[in-house]
Amino acid sequence: MSDAHHPAHERRILGTELLWAFGVGVLVAVLLGMVLFTALTQNINPPSNVERIDPKNLHLSGEFAEQNLGTVVAADGSVTTRIIATQFVFAPHCVAVPQGRPVTLRLASPDVIHGILITGTNVNTMVVPGFVAQVHAQFTRADELLMPCHEYCGLGHSEMWATVQVLDAAAFKPDAEGRVTCAQR
Amino acid sequence: MPEMNTSAADSSFEAVDEVDEAALAEVMRTVPLGAGVLAGGAVALLVLGYLAIYLLIFLPRGVVG
Repeated sequence: MSDAHHPAHERRILGTELLWAFGVGVLVAVLLGMVLFTALTQNINPPSNVERIDPKNLHLSGEFAEQNLGTVVAADGSVTTRIIATQFVFAPHCVAVPQGRPVTLRLASPDVIHGILITGTNVNTMVVPGFVAQVHAQFTRADELLMPCHEYCGLGHSEMWATVQVLDAAAFKPDAEGRVTCAQR
Repeated sequence: MPEMNTSAADSSFEAVDEVDEAALAEVMRTVPLGAGVLAGGAVALLVLGYLAIYLLIFLPRGVVG
């Protein structure tokens, strides 16, 4: 069979392929458009933060010293939660965050690579020694959520978890220094 | 020893490739459509699954960035 023998058939196949390519192109554009739309209007992005910190002494002074860990409400009302992930605990073991308000989670590791996710939310990041992992999140419902380490970090990895208490406006009460700790339940 | 089995290799290379033009045209009318429906259905299911997870699970879980 020569190429010129069935031009009508080949034109039909070419037409089908072009139609398919057009449909797939539209689909890809729509899906990318959705991702771009939510990124621009709701600020939903993959967490990315390149900020160095010395893992050898991060717990001794500065931002991740013991007295600075946990949740603090700044004078401008912004909420920041600082957590150290270390073999094989999170410090503090329980953090309180407000419901329906933007929260900045900042984590650092003095030893090996850890990772966190918070169940039922989109919070999910790795905690790499030498860097500060930062996630901006907003918790939609008041609940007690589990935050396990999801990056194998050693023999005690499976015991490494913390609790995130999402408190409604009535329960989320900063003290005189702006600190909020987990409510005893 | 007589050869009892037959093989495709025994057939002649000179067999004419007979094409029924009408039958070929009929096949070419329906085959691309069927392939399109099958592939379109599969992609539609995949996209519906993606949209369901994105709109019903990912977005209600709250802002992250």
